[in-house]
Amino acid sequence: MSSAIRIAREEWRLWLRSKVVIAAALIIAVLLAATSFLTAGRVVDEQSQRLDKQVAAEEAFFSQPDRHPHRMVHYGHYAFRPPPPLAAFEPGVDAVTGQSIFLEGHRQNTAMFADTKASADLGGFATLSPANLYQLLLPLLLIVLGHALFLRERESGTLAVLLAQGQSGVKLAMGKGLALLSVIAALMIPLVAVAIYSISLGESAMAASSLVFSYFIYLCIWGALVLAASIILKQRAVSLGVLVFVWLFAALIVPRFAINASSAAIDAPGKIESDLIMLAEQRKLGDGHNAADPAFQRLQAQVLEQYEAETIEELPINWRGIVASYSEAELTDLLNEHAENRMGLEASQSRMFDLFGVISPTISIGSVSRTLSGTDLATHHRFLRESETLRFNFVQAVNQVHVEDLDYARDLNRNASDEAGQLARVSADSWKVLEEFRFVSDASGDRLSRAALSLGVMIAWLLASVSIVFLAARRVRM
Amino acid sequence: MTSPLEARSLSLIREGNDVLDGVSFTVAQGEIFALLGGNGAGKSSTLLTFLGFLEPSDGDVLVHGENVGSDIAAARSAIAYLPEAASLYGHMTAYENLDYFLDLAGKSAGRSDIDAALDRVALPDEARTRRLQSYSKGMRQKTAIALALLRETPILLLDEPTSGLDPVAIDEFHDLVTALAKGGQTILMVTHDVYGACQVADRIGLLRGGQLVGSFTAENGERIDTETVHAAFAQRQSA
Ligand SMILES: Nc1ncnc2c1ncn2[C@@H]1O[C@H](COP(=O)(O)OP(=O)(O)OP(=O)(O)O)[C@@H](O)[C@H]1O
Ligand SMILES: [Mg+2]
Repeated sequence: MSSAIRIAREEWRLWLRSKVVIAAALIIAVLLAATSFLTAGRVVDEQSQRLDKQVAAEEAFFSQPDRHPHRMVHYGHYAFRPPPPLAAFEPGVDAVTGQSIFLEGHRQNTAMFADTKASADLGGFATLSPANLYQLLLPLLLIVLGHALFLRERESGTLAVLLAQGQSGVKLAMGKGLALLSVIAALMIPLVAVAIYSISLGESAMAASSLVFSYFIYLCIWGALVLAASIILKQRAVSLGVLVFVWLFAALIVPRFAINASSAAIDAPGKIESDLIMLAEQRKLGDGHNAADPAFQRLQAQVLEQYEAETIEELPINWRGIVASYSEAELTDLLNEHAENRMGLEASQSRMFDLFGVISPTISIGSVSRTLSGTDLATHHRFLRESETLRFNFVQAVNQVHVEDLDYARDLNRNASDEAGQLARVSADSWKVLEEFRFVSDASGDRLSRAALSLGVMIAWLLASVSIVFLAARRVRM
Repeated sequence: MTSPLEARSLSLIREGNDVLDGVSFTVAQGEIFALLGGNGAGKSSTLLTFLGFLEPSDGDVLVHGENVGSDIAAARSAIAYLPEAASLYGHMTAYENLDYFLDLAGKSAGRSDIDAALDRVALPDEARTRRLQSYSKGMRQKTAIALALLRETPILLLDEPTSGLDPVAIDEFHDLVTALAKGGQTILMVTHDVYGACQVADRIGLLRGGQLVGSFTAENGERIDTETVHAAFAQRQSA
């Protein structure tokens, strides 16, 4: 072991005496520091902004004056998804999915961007996240630093001298590996800093440290591949060429291909197509604003029987409210079914995409990174579901106010005059039915178990690449 | 008593070519054996098999009576090897190079030991803290020789040790090698320098086309006759 440390130390001496290496290290350090700093600042801003907006939206709702309840259904509400602390490192799908939803009766709106600034960022800086640097740029740095680790000794004849001093190929490989490992450890420092910062913002220590661990594994995979190439291949140019090709393949080609392949294999209907299908089904349900719609005749019979009444006017409750509530529930079932279908398809596409991790560890780390950071598709889907529940609950609660607190006759008469309109109102106190909404990240255990498969794939990669290093090193004769 | 170095009908094939073909010799303790031959004769390859870098295709190489293949580590720890090209690190000084390689060899040498060895090979003081990339060929060779000295192994394998050295340094080196052998170290050196070989060797083996084709021994304390060897060398070369 002591010889491995000595060999690693001498590697550092060489690096520190090389201007190219020092320049590359400085550039990477500046890039890492700058992107971490910028994104961390942005996330903190967005977190407080979106929380403020959520609170403001709730206050706006509560402070509405006395009104006809159905006007509140259309007044609507907002659900905001604040970025989790680790989004500072890994914006994940947040960069392409919306982070706020307008909630109103009879509709499931799609998520939109909280503000125009966020979406304008997308084209430019959002793509240069620290996670991207770790996933794409750092492997390249390891390639530049390490492609000739072993080869240089072979080419300059010092390999024979090293071996003649009684060092085995395996010991040399361990020394060189240790040198790369120490580089990787140094490269982890910015991520560790971001992780600690995120914990201070309330992120779970478990999730943050697992994220650090996963990136460590990922970079070790690259380190081992680089070392293996430098042992197995006999020329510097070949080693560099092969490794750059592997990088292109793993980091750019496979992810591209995986996106196309998974969306081709699991065919999600286009938005227009599915909207049309939905409209047709929706029409069959009847219009909840029109209590006389024949679609509600069966409901009417049921309700009359339940209250032992002959006509809807005799009912102790507001028939229009009943219809609004009933049709909201029916419509929501239909909308949810479609939403679940779409989310199911998206989830299978994403699972299939993850499987490509078997041929590219970059895919696996991407998936693990998004999942542990709480910026994965599953978290977005949960946001959609929870905000839908919020929507449904407040609409139905207001409809219940409509049923119970507004007289049917006054309701029917609401358009007769201004005065009649005044009478067809309920007290502003009724708006208290709105639930408070605070979107929070999944528990770290849930995130870990979701990330387990991809993490397992990465560990398999690591074992395989380290084995290749050992097998190749054992065969080194000179 | 077993000889420190022995080749028994050693044959070697490198990339399909016969490089050595049934070479046998022994080197006794304290003896200087010079393997003489033209370019491509198989001299360097012979040394590499003793270090276990190359595996004999037939026959055996033995170090202290032990087959090299069966314990390469033992062979390497008994041998200090001066490679054909003085392969040390250009980005390190002489001190750093020697300290590093000695450390890897498990040999602790202080600055004064290193200075003593560098004195013996006459590497100027001023050069010792300069990086080797600024050295002349001969200075690098001297540093590499110093490494072999500092290992203090029972056996020295020297590949063209005087290559790059000036005449004065060559003479000094010959004295050095003679002294080492007197001190009990066993020396196998390979060279195509007939004069140099005759100067120091107790015995010379003439290698040609992978075969040992002649042998000359110093007798009665006299040096091997340069003319004789040269004639044999030239004849064999042209034959
Ligand atoms: N790395 C190698 N791979 C394959 N064959 C080699 C290699 N090095 C040398 N040879 C072949 O082995 C034979 C002997 O080479 P070797 O280096 O042992 O000769 P040598 O006697 O040391 O010559 P020189 O005086 O030029 O140093 C030559 O025919 C050469 O072509
Ligand atoms: Mg040679």
